[in-house]
Amino acid sequence: MAKIIAAYAASHAPLVARDWHILPQHQKDRLSAAYRELGRRLSAAKPDVIVEIAPDHWSNFFINNLPNVCIGVGEMHDGPPEPFLKDYPFNPMQGAPELAMHILKTALDNDFEPSVSHHMKLDHGFCIPLMRMELTALPPIVPIVINSLEEPMPSLKRCLAWGKLIRQAVESYPENLRVAVLTSGGLSHSIGEPTMGAIDEAFDHECIEAFRTGAEAPLLSFLEAHVTKAGNGAQEVRNWLVAHGAAQARGFELIDYFPVPEVYVGCGFAAWKIAQS
Amino acid sequence: MASDYWLSKLFWDLQQPPAQVEYRADRLKVLERYQLKPEIRAAVLADDVAALAKFSNPYLLRFYFFAVGMKDDEFIGKLRAMAPQENSHG
Repeated sequence: MAKIIAAYAASHAPLVARDWHILPQHQKDRLSAAYRELGRRLSAAKPDVIVEIAPDHWSNFFINNLPNVCIGVGEMHDGPPEPFLKDYPFNPMQGAPELAMHILKTALDNDFEPSVSHHMKLDHGFCIPLMRMELTALPPIVPIVINSLEEPMPSLKRCLAWGKLIRQAVESYPENLRVAVLTSGGLSHSIGEPTMGAIDEAFDHECIEAFRTGAEAPLLSFLEAHVTKAGNGAQEVRNWLVAHGAAQARGFELIDYFPVPEVYVGCGFAAWKIAQS
Repeated sequence: MASDYWLSKLFWDLQQPPAQVEYRADRLKVLERYQLKPEIRAAVLADDVAALAKFSNPYLLRFYFFAVGMKDDEFIGKLRAMAPQENSHG
């Protein structure tokens, strides 16, 4: 049987690639260290597949057809379409269609109705963590898009339930696969709205503490009360909730958090505690 | 307020570099392909960030003004100058 052997979170921002050359050296050093530590842990975990949770930044979808959840079941995924990521090293990326299809079917059997894509473009949200982790090789990826950009979005509670569903699907998959969950996005940031550039460090620290302690009810209660005030980019914390559910809400270890005003994002990096069987 | 479909479509299409080149060369010609309401078309031609923010997803708004060459500092300044009630996505 397959099992989830690790779950990680990393922030992303286009400027972590596009403006890398002009970021202050101390920010580059700290970002590099955090991404590299995640990469070291991911490599040490030896996953056969990565299930990656991220938003789609208008790369695959538009308001004429906008899924709230989409599972990429393709054999291959295209690399990021953004010109500033033309040197992304893993393009195209191998998919894991059999596991992806199993997650899809498990979802449908359990009254979840995701959209499905047989050929997806993975934009900077998916690819910046993978690039900055400095991996020497990339395992096959099952991408799962959670709409965190356009209202209405899936509820926070539903995102947590999605994580549990993913765990159920992985644990019912007959092949012995080691599956890592990687979630990308958050924490506080504000894009294209009057508060653009604002980083809500108080929200970020409370959010991290709620994830760290692990209990679902206070975590959801905190996010439901505060996430809309932490900038529209903070809605990407939905992806962290998916990982939290997949990791059975056991809490996590913070690898680093620091505001990076030059890329407009409160950047968080974490690894969930996973029960070893 | 809901996003305006044709304005959003313009912004979305302009993520493609060739479309950006064409738009920079002849904005009026490109705009003919989009069924923009007169007030929205006028706001596009005026680079009116505050007016367009009412009709677009904020991420697409940012993409658009980046694509037409507005620097982030100027874009953020125009956003911050908006009265809070002007922002429909806050």
